[in-house]
Amino acid sequence: MDTVVKFTSISQGKDRVFSATQFACALSTHLLRSNSQRKELVAKLKIVEANISAGRKLLKLGNAVNSVEAAKRSLRLSDRVLCLCLTAANINRALSLICDNVLWARSVGLIRDINQKSWSLTSSRCYFLAVIMNVTRDLYVVLQLMMQKAKDKDFKQKMSLHLSENPEVAEVVIPQLDAFLFLLFESLKSHPAVALDTLKNVCDLFSPLDRLGIYPSNAGVVAFCGLVSSLIGIVTIAKPTLNIKP
Amino acid sequence: MDSWLRFSAQSQARERLFRATQYACTLLGYALQKGGAADELRKTVSQLEAHMSLTRKLLRLGNSVEALESAKRAIHLSDSVLRLCLTISHLNRAMYFACDNVLWAGKTGLISKLDQHKWSQRSFRYYLFALILNLTRDVYELRLLMESEVRYRAAKSPPSPYPSTTLPIDPLSSSSATPALPAMSVWLHRQFNLIVTVLYSNPPLLLDLLKNGCDIFIPLDRLRIYPTGQGFVGACGLASSVLSILTIVHPWLKLKP
Repeated sequence: MDTVVKFTSISQGKDRVFSATQFACALSTHLLRSNSQRKELVAKLKIVEANISAGRKLLKLGNAVNSVEAAKRSLRLSDRVLCLCLTAANINRALSLICDNVLWARSVGLIRDINQKSWSLTSSRCYFLAVIMNVTRDLYVVLQLMMQKAKDKDFKQKMSLHLSENPEVAEVVIPQLDAFLFLLFESLKSHPAVALDTLKNVCDLFSPLDRLGIYPSNAGVVAFCGLVSSLIGIVTIAKPTLNIKP
Repeated sequence: MDSWLRFSAQSQARERLFRATQYACTLLGYALQKGGAADELRKTVSQLEAHMSLTRKLLRLGNSVEALESAKRAIHLSDSVLRLCLTISHLNRAMYFACDNVLWAGKTGLISKLDQHKWSQRSFRYYLFALILNLTRDVYELRLLMESEVRYRAAKSPPSPYPSTTLPIDPLSSSSATPALPAMSVWLHRQFNLIVTVLYSNPPLLLDLLKNGCDIFIPLDRLRIYPTGQGFVGACGLASSVLSILTIVHPWLKLKP
């Protein structure tokens, strides 16, 4: 109970819980859409999803400042690639949030004559760029970890043991692929934060890909990926050690 | 910028900001109505107010648990009056949040046949009880502080042996009809001075008293016990939200426990 209270008093935590609920409702709606007996339940789920979505748009007011501050902090990083990726990601995220804030003002009626479609597209594009930058950063970190691990003596012993005892045909035919995959999995196993962050960012890619029409998938896939991403976000807030740094 | 980050990181802080905006919209709506402003502007303001109110209800979905936890913590207080007041106040707040959650479900359409007026009245009743208990606690703390201030003053300067002769005699009052009146007014004046001194040296208590005092007009108006009108309710709500934002920005101004 204590952790529940501590968690809900953190703004980001509450937002992730709402986001998880929103995507769970969207996924359930998609799965039950052809079931004629559950029409009432589907209608209720749609109401919850719409309300939570509207509420989250209000919660996003002012988050652009957080992203700008994160961009300022990431400028001071020593590693050039990390610095570039994170700064670009944070700036794009800030731009996407500003577009979202303008769209909220339009939906409430504070601003009237704006082209809703173009602002929405801009928001999706900036968010897409931000996620791409995050994925690039994840790949860079994973490659660094793999290079580090490959030089490790203990790991070299483990690797030769694994290669010699594996009798399956496919992996014997392509030993380099087998070695590469083994190295990848071992690196990710020893750094769960990086693995979680990579998975989260890959899931986050599907929503803008669908909205921008680059890789259209159905609402179910988008909802499922959104749900996985929100759940990972909740886990990283509940256990701060699983949060990738910087 | 740093203080904004710390501020927005706390969910409660943002909720207070939305509350301030909601009541500012109420006040603005009243002012626009009185001033005879355009229909569209009034519609926008009332739409924004309704949107804020519904979103705040959404944000409050988990608050019953928080209030129950606060009540559990308040049971362990040493002072029996404080213990009673705070525990029952938190329990009433938990009931208020529960009714509020039911109202959210009704307003969004999750529960179709909900008597919104009945549940709204219910929630405001619990809110009123909680506020009355908070005010009782404030008055009790004020009383304690006044007593300790009197003792401190008495210890600082020894009292004169004939306290009755130090009272100034009003030459205009009739001596035979009401000899008690000047003594009464002097006593009142002294008490008032004492209250002002105590409150001036205890800003958390003053802020809490003002905040609860402003807040109490909202349920009193909604329950039709003491109707004051939209403008006054909006002004009171805005004032109490601003005061509670102050206590979040400067945590030393928060009354403890």
